[in-house]
Amino acid sequence: MDKKSKGLIPPGLAYMADNVISKHNILGASKGAGAKWAKDLNLPKEAETIFFAGCGYQYSGELESLMSLVRKMDKSAIGSELPMGIAGLQKKLGIDLVGVYRKVSAKGGDSEGEPLKDAVKVLSKLGVKFGYLADDEPCCGGLLHYIGLQDEFAQNARQVYDQLKSHGVKRIIGIVPSCTYTLRNLMPKYIEKYDLEVKHFVEVALEGIRSRELRFPREVKVTYHDPCQLGRYLGLIEQPRQILKAIKGIELVEPQWASGEWATCCGGGGGFEAVFPELSEILAVNRAKELVDTGAQIIVTNCPGCIMQLKDGLKQLKIDNVEVLDLAQVVAMAMEV
Amino acid sequence: MSTFTDYKKELMDAAHNERIRIALSRAIASYRANTNAALKKFPHTIKMAEEVRAIKEKAIGEMEKLAQQACEAIESNKGKGYIAKTAEDALNIIDKLVGTGKLIVKGKSMTGEEIELREHLEEHGNEVYETDLGEFIIQKLGSRPMHILSPAIHVPREDVAQLFSKITGQQLSTDIETLVATARKLLREKYFEANIGMSGANVVAADTGTLFLIENEGNIRLATGAPPVHIALVGMEKLVPTLGDACKVAEVTWRYANYTIPSYVSLVSGPSKTGDIEKVTTYGAHGPKEFHVIFMDAGRTELAKHPILRQALYCLRCGGCLYECPVFAVTAGHFGDKYFAANGAVWAAMISHDMEKAASLAYTCLTCGRCKVRCPMKIDAPQMIVAARERILQGK
Repeated sequence: MDKKSKGLIPPGLAYMADNVISKHNILGASKGAGAKWAKDLNLPKEAETIFFAGCGYQYSGELESLMSLVRKMDKSAIGSELPMGIAGLQKKLGIDLVGVYRKVSAKGGDSEGEPLKDAVKVLSKLGVKFGYLADDEPCCGGLLHYIGLQDEFAQNARQVYDQLKSHGVKRIIGIVPSCTYTLRNLMPKYIEKYDLEVKHFVEVALEGIRSRELRFPREVKVTYHDPCQLGRYLGLIEQPRQILKAIKGIELVEPQWASGEWATCCGGGGGFEAVFPELSEILAVNRAKELVDTGAQIIVTNCPGCIMQLKDGLKQLKIDNVEVLDLAQVVAMAMEV
Repeated sequence: MSTFTDYKKELMDAAHNERIRIALSRAIASYRANTNAALKKFPHTIKMAEEVRAIKEKAIGEMEKLAQQACEAIESNKGKGYIAKTAEDALNIIDKLVGTGKLIVKGKSMTGEEIELREHLEEHGNEVYETDLGEFIIQKLGSRPMHILSPAIHVPREDVAQLFSKITGQQLSTDIETLVATARKLLREKYFEANIGMSGANVVAADTGTLFLIENEGNIRLATGAPPVHIALVGMEKLVPTLGDACKVAEVTWRYANYTIPSYVSLVSGPSKTGDIEKVTTYGAHGPKEFHVIFMDAGRTELAKHPILRQALYCLRCGGCLYECPVFAVTAGHFGDKYFAANGAVWAAMISHDMEKAASLAYTCLTCGRCKVRCPMKIDAPQMIVAARERILQGK
């Protein structure tokens, strides 16, 4: 690929793509930083079925900080120069990304790990046997595909596949819709005789909860936001709703028109938020408004990107009495794990 | 500043424009309600759309053959058919037919926009009137269309009143009926004074050489019926094999453009003629004496070879996708170039070969895929966008 053409990649995306290629995660964080959420869970590293955590949740704290920074810049006078790139901006403005990370971890909340921890607890309680590759979990590289870097994606896909095979992996339970779609639908197009069985958390959880009594700690109105890749891409529209409907105490309310296959994107699709941070925020506000108009007290979804966007949308709308949670967190509460 | 920087600024200005957002949110609500009602009343449309997709898939692979066939049919109907390989060829053919110093009334045509036909004719010393109300407003504002069917979707009535007041020299109210009547009055005589009427076509039957012109205002009937010459510029992707196919394409198009049935569908296959005196066929009775149809390739047959991007040619231009696009909802046609949203990106890359513009548009797509749910042709926009990005980065 010649430099000129590659120069057509909007800078925010180019930055993330370089991270995937060189650091094997979208944020360019150091190896192992993503796995800290699981340190007390004692998950085996070698297992035929693994839980695939993905970049989104493992680095969600860092992502939120970075996005809030980028949005501030995008709105300011400097914003008009944004095409110089996030990396360039960091240098020019003396922003230290490593410092940003440190600040996030210093907050110590580890809140970014909650959906992952809850998903693991739920699956364990349901009797599912699985491991977690921790430091050895590769980045699925889906972003490379969406950027249009198919050669790089193919190369990454081969590495990911080999890595998974070398750990004896046969089945994968995904939690991030985008990673799940990449592992399930995109990789087989590039890897001959692809033999990994990939399911999303909602499929496994739905099977497991059928015979159980689930009760949410309080009576609550809940709405569900379909992540684009879970609903329209993976076609998992009914499953999360069946889970929510199976939980006593939860009343599921849907936005008019814009749900299921017609759900409105949160504005964070395909790296869009890195290219058009401010526009992305406007779209997040629009979607948050549609969801809040249902009268729900909790917005449930299944994607770290959507959660980040919707939280930001609510913040912009100055709404502080509506929560945004991953379905795994809701199920965990209903199962008291 | 780079193309991307300019584009991003334009996009953000639009996103902060409260008027665009209000106009769009009203349009989206009414589009969805109307389309749902139309599909409920005529539920066979959904199955018919699948049939049309099959018709288009096949027709796109044989556009050149169909164009040839259509030209022959039009010639046997005593019209003239032309095949233009490039946009430049199309403009040359039109120049020869039009010349200079003519008064031209024009129906709205995206293909015309694509080759900047109006501007070209004006530069060659012709007086051109856009007759579609939205397009007329756009022309007078010196703006560009912001939606394929409703070009002035972003202009509220207050702005139209101001514009028409300026043109007429009278202080007009913002009453919509008054504004529509003003446009009618301004354009009425032009149809009968015009030397030439111009149009596009929504679909063309190759076997009979029949152009389908779908409209509600009645301006196309007048513009293509009153002047002595009718020239139609048609993108080759509009061709389908038979009259029966064309009927299906037309019905699916208007249904997804939110109409149960449009007020007018004109089928034009040749010049006006009569045999009422001694059965001697004489041309130019009440309608045009001359009928010219130009089928333009301009990159379409090349685009048809791409296994994924060819889907852009299946587009019926119903505009449904745009009402489902979260970005379009706040930016209107600023997320576009010759065409809008995903199709706009493919068009910029493959037809206009403007790679910077194409990249700007391609990376504005969320790849969320809601447009695909709406699309009667099930055009997979996210798939096209990823393929377009790949192509852009390969510098092709």
